[in-house]
Amino acid sequence: MFGPLIQFAWRNLWRNRRRTFITMTAIAFGYVMLLFVACLMAGLRWQMIENGTALVMSQIQVQAPAYYPNRSIQKTLGGWQGTDVNATLAAVTADRRVYAAAPRVYGYGLLSAAHRSAGVELMGIVPRQEAKITILNNDIVKGDYLTPRMPKGVVLGDTLASTIGMQLGSEIVLLTQAADGSMGNDVYTVVGIFHTGLDAVDRGLVLMSLPALQELLHLAPARIHEIGIKLNDITAATAVAAALQTRLYKSVPVRARAWPELAPELASYVQFNHAITFVLFFIFFLIAVIGVMNTMLMAVFERTRELGMLMALGMRPAQVIVLIMAEAAGLALASLLVGGAIGVPILWYLQVHGLDLGGATGEMVSLAGVLVGHLWYGRQDLPAYGEAAVGLGITALVSALYPAWRAAHVTPTEAIRKV
Amino acid sequence: MRIMDLQKSLTAVLLMLACLILAPVVHAAKVLPKRMTVDQVAHLFSSKSSIATVTMRVVNEDGQRDMSMRIWSLGDKVLIRITSPEDEAGVAILKAGSDIRYYLPKSKRTVKIPASMAMTSWMGSDFTIDDLVKETFLTRDYSITTSFEGTRGGVAVYEYTLTPKPDAAVVWGKIVLQIRQADSVPTWQGFYDENGALVRGLTFSEYKTVGGRNIPTRLVMQPADKTGARTTIDYTDIAFDVPISAATFSLPNEK
Amino acid sequence: MTSAPLLIKVSWRNLWRNPRGTLLTALALGLGLSLLLISLGLLDGGHEQTIADGVRFGPGHVVIQAKGYQETNSDELLLSARVVSSSEAFLQSDTIKQLVRGVSPRLLATGLLSSAANASGVRIMGVIPQDERAVSLIPQRMIAGSYLSNDTPPSNGRPSAAVIGIDLARKLEVKVGSKVVLMTQALRQPGADTRNSSGDEMESTLLRVTGIFRTGLQAVDANIVQVPLPAAQSLLGVTGGQVTQVALLLAEESDSPLVAKALRRQLTDASVEVLTWRQSIPMLAQILGLDHAFNYIMNGVILAMVGLGILNTILMRVLERHYEFGVCKALGLRPGQLAVMVIGESLALTAISLSLGLVFGLSIEHYFATSGLDLRLLFRRGLPPALVFDPILYSRLSPNRIVWSVSIVFVMATIISFYPALKAARIDLPDALKVL
Repeated sequence: MFGPLIQFAWRNLWRNRRRTFITMTAIAFGYVMLLFVACLMAGLRWQMIENGTALVMSQIQVQAPAYYPNRSIQKTLGGWQGTDVNATLAAVTADRRVYAAAPRVYGYGLLSAAHRSAGVELMGIVPRQEAKITILNNDIVKGDYLTPRMPKGVVLGDTLASTIGMQLGSEIVLLTQAADGSMGNDVYTVVGIFHTGLDAVDRGLVLMSLPALQELLHLAPARIHEIGIKLNDITAATAVAAALQTRLYKSVPVRARAWPELAPELASYVQFNHAITFVLFFIFFLIAVIGVMNTMLMAVFERTRELGMLMALGMRPAQVIVLIMAEAAGLALASLLVGGAIGVPILWYLQVHGLDLGGATGEMVSLAGVLVGHLWYGRQDLPAYGEAAVGLGITALVSALYPAWRAAHVTPTEAIRKV
Repeated sequence: MRIMDLQKSLTAVLLMLACLILAPVVHAAKVLPKRMTVDQVAHLFSSKSSIATVTMRVVNEDGQRDMSMRIWSLGDKVLIRITSPEDEAGVAILKAGSDIRYYLPKSKRTVKIPASMAMTSWMGSDFTIDDLVKETFLTRDYSITTSFEGTRGGVAVYEYTLTPKPDAAVVWGKIVLQIRQADSVPTWQGFYDENGALVRGLTFSEYKTVGGRNIPTRLVMQPADKTGARTTIDYTDIAFDVPISAATFSLPNEK
Repeated sequence: MTSAPLLIKVSWRNLWRNPRGTLLTALALGLGLSLLLISLGLLDGGHEQTIADGVRFGPGHVVIQAKGYQETNSDELLLSARVVSSSEAFLQSDTIKQLVRGVSPRLLATGLLSSAANASGVRIMGVIPQDERAVSLIPQRMIAGSYLSNDTPPSNGRPSAAVIGIDLARKLEVKVGSKVVLMTQALRQPGADTRNSSGDEMESTLLRVTGIFRTGLQAVDANIVQVPLPAAQSLLGVTGGQVTQVALLLAEESDSPLVAKALRRQLTDASVEVLTWRQSIPMLAQILGLDHAFNYIMNGVILAMVGLGILNTILMRVLERHYEFGVCKALGLRPGQLAVMVIGESLALTAISLSLGLVFGLSIEHYFATSGLDLRLLFRRGLPPALVFDPILYSRLSPNRIVWSVSIVFVMATIISFYPALKAARIDLPDALKVL
């Protein structure tokens, strides 16, 4: 019984092209807009997280369980014996979700130059590996990033440099409490100066080579405090952190923390934004829905006469309803496909080229493309795309239901009388 | 209890001298005025000048470390020169007022320590620089009551409880000082927080007579919350009121 | 010859010939406008709130400081009491008063806070409690004890009250009622007599923790100790009522440049700098730039969707009345007049929709403006332990925005109706009169 009805439904759609077209436009356009918004919102979230983690923190940190939050320098990975650093790094990168990993050593000490000194945070890194997980190396404004050529070179922030009175080539003394309680101290040379725009970093962070810091702190080469990790997809951070912790624990006790745990303020802000975008998405959805509903309603009401004729010719009310619903379903599906097709190149463009907001934002400042993205990239949010499609589709069907039911119960004479 | 002497005024010196003179006289007396006793304890290491050789042993969960140093003091200036172990030998610390500077032989540099770092533990020990810098005015800041009088461990002692006066800028809830009745030397000092919990305890032992005073030459500081951790300071020799030239109090590359 | 007023009357009556259809359409479009207004309000509100939250933990929307303070952060650079009082007087004046929500003078310094268990470097803030309440969010984030009160006696021997953050409280192992000792170096002021001691004396003072706050910002919770301003001044040896900065909170963030400029004109003292938050917290400005741009785009998207809705609706109406238009034409109505009639109908319809939309939209927006939208309803996984941002989103819809939205929708509707009007005008007579 339905076969011929479906065929009929399909032909009906194309009989009145204009009406079909208009309805399709409503649904398709609504869908494209939702795709666009979802993509941009996901991009915004991603960008915020990137901005917060890519500079120094990295996306996941693996440390000895007792290390955080007191950050005692004795609490190295693997205890006082340390660990096979390369093997541990390899175990981390074995997870395909991991893009790169790098070892880090931390200390806190006094930096002294000429006659002034300041308390600083010391970070020992392996430049080549570190550059894969963070982007501080892009913020060098004078001199160079760390190189193996100068093992006693340090890189620090411009605010610190000007406060203490240092320039490129200045010699400084670092004084710290070593792991064995003695006073670690040595002389270093400033080889690079960075500017991140983050006061805490520009004023307080000193980068040096990992072996040099280990030496200063009287730590054996096998002793590191942390492995920083960058992922292919940052949204999987918490899951990957849990997986890494389980896997690594077999060889060395660790605690793997993803960025929401490391930067709760950032996580807070991201969630806040998520909530707002959810509200917005909902509003857009409502607007799209209204458009679809309106169009469907009118489309069906307009055909009251035609449907009345069909019933006069013998079609049963139930069949009329089925007919309408089938049309609506077909229409919705076709529209969503069209919308999706139009959307794909837009989404692709958003993700790859991004939206240049330079003009629209007026006072925004661009800073090495990091802290500020006036170029705004989208990210794919497939679940949102699916939800939008389902929502719109259901809306189309539901909004066809009422008028279909009405149409099915109109008497033929009433229908024909409509002018 | 201070390691470094921080002389305050001539009055204190006179008071102390008076105590020392009086000490044999009151030897047999049962009750020595509390304030005087406490004051005496507080100024046990005070003098116009002094030179001392000290070894410090720090024991904590990471192991044990020994350090030797020579300490000169004149007025409010203090010079410490570390003599062992080898990788720290030659390190000198000069304190003048609240200005603290380190000389680092390895880097051949002088470094000024800002006040904000003053609370880090001194050389990894259980003493803080605060213990060195801040003067403890036991009698000024605390009111004293006798909380125990009798025999402990075969020794006749007085136990004084020092309660901070309402506006005294001290962190302790109370300090308990245990003093030998016989010669009024301290045997133990306990530092408690406001809830009455012991935070750290300082034990005195190895009494010797130096320059007319009876002083404990071994001090052991033990934090209450870290079992097994403690810092032991031994005065292997100490001399009071010796002539020291002011020129002594400078760091190598400042000469 | 039909005149314009007649056409308009006809357009209007046309609408009501199909009351249900018209109302349905008007409702739909009106709803679209309501949603536009609601989302504009929420977006603007969210943006404003993000800024406010950011500046309220720092120097406020506008800050007055000694010249050079922003760059050097040197605690020895102070504002004289004269500057403070003339600024406050100026801010009370009628022209400026309604723009300002709070004025808080503060003395900032660094020190060491110790307890029996531990010690920590801290940032000292000497504040006037009731003034600080109007500017900072710390007073609203107390989780234990209470914030400083104005009737704390200056110094008559009793220890001064202090409030600290939860992270600091944990590190020092203290709770409400505990005592702590603050050690600091007296601020060396230019012109003051140089001391002849070998170094700067450290002053210690006893404080009692009367309240503990949690802001969620580690930098604040682990570092800040707030004490009454007079206590801070005496501790730091600051005389003559000097302070480090005067922080202002405004009613509208957008007034920041205006207020800053007015203050600069007023305070011609060369040793003073007046900065907007964008200058004093550039990081925040950068983060918000993204937010701002986002809003623009969202507005654009909403307008596009509403516009399409209008187009669809009007087009459908025109198509559906093919026959009727044919009859009109047959009866002598010229194409131009037909087009005008269509446009007239669209505008009338838009007007009705806008009215409905404004009524509905503004009442919902008003609800959000006063009671706010509680975002906690939307957090599926539950809140993080300390939400830095206020979870209740308040809508802020300025009259400007309302006028702007209504105008844009109206103009959009007019332009959009040209196409259907054109189609109506071009109706071919014989075809249009076919009944089926």
